[in-house]
Amino acid sequence: MNKMKFLAGLLVFGSIWGFSECIIGSHLENVGLPSGAIMTGVFAMMLMVTSRLFYRQPGMQLGMGIIAGGLRLFNPFVGCHICSALAIMAEGALFEIIWYKLSFDLKELKTRGLQASMGIITAYCMYVGGYIVTQVLTPLLSGPGFYIENLIVFMPRILASGLLTAVIGGIVLPATLLVRKVDITVKNRQYYPVTVGVSILCWFLVILNWFTAGV
Amino acid sequence: MGKEKLIPILALVVILVGGFSAIYVHATQVNKDTITINEEEYTIDQIFYMSDSRTINTSDGEKSGIALDDLMFKVGVGCPGCHEYTIKAKDGYQKTVTWDFIKNGILTEDGRTFFSEGPRAYWVRDVVEIEVK
Repeated sequence: MNKMKFLAGLLVFGSIWGFSECIIGSHLENVGLPSGAIMTGVFAMMLMVTSRLFYRQPGMQLGMGIIAGGLRLFNPFVGCHICSALAIMAEGALFEIIWYKLSFDLKELKTRGLQASMGIITAYCMYVGGYIVTQVLTPLLSGPGFYIENLIVFMPRILASGLLTAVIGGIVLPATLLVRKVDITVKNRQYYPVTVGVSILCWFLVILNWFTAGV
Repeated sequence: MGKEKLIPILALVVILVGGFSAIYVHATQVNKDTITINEEEYTIDQIFYMSDSRTINTSDGEKSGIALDDLMFKVGVGCPGCHEYTIKAKDGYQKTVTWDFIKNGILTEDGRTFFSEGPRAYWVRDVVEIEVK
């Protein structure tokens, strides 16, 4: 695949993910819904699986996580923005690790049962792994230091908190894989304006939200 | 073992780990109306009666409560700067902070800590204990 085409795809998918975390995630949290579980189980899962199906490039989901996490740092008004940014980046990395042994056309996931199982494993590991990473890195980067005993006593709670995300992932992955049957083609001359335009719009709306929320 | 067998088994393990953890968390959750500070029990009314109040600026606006450093003096912590403080919530969440953090912290009437500096991960909800180490 053309390197520029890949980078533009990485930028647009990462920006949509970051935008979802900042704007939709914030609204979900404000209305009392489990935003973390929904963002990981629905949005992160859908975007990473879709990008993997379309682009079939190793490292893309890690790059998306870095872009989405970077965008999350621009929306410091709801929740812990450093924790969230770290969790998003960790989710991208964990997705790459979990899906490393799977082929890019996902021929292993033939049945709905296998797809649901993979969705459960992926969503749970991403959520719990991201949670653990934030618990370790946040105190190291911006707090008074990391204390292992604080993580150990809280581990049962972290492991339990991933259950809802796992269930969501088990539903969302088979649903997302239906896009394989949809023929989406973007003409070459429209590809760059669309991807760059959508990316700029995502960043613009998040930064605008930063200013309006700060007023 | 092929992926066709391994993936469902791992999914089942994940569900079991999550499920048993949820049961464990529910069974071990601490439900009490007092806060343990330096191994002594205090009601929130006692804490608010004996300590000075403070308003701090946080990234979520102004927050008011009792000053954590004054509280440590009032409960008789000797050489408060020589210790670390672990703030524990009823769900098992806990964070350890230094005296410099405590000096910029408050405890609100609904049992939540806020600090004017540092990440929000240190804003512990439903505090049940402040352990002096």
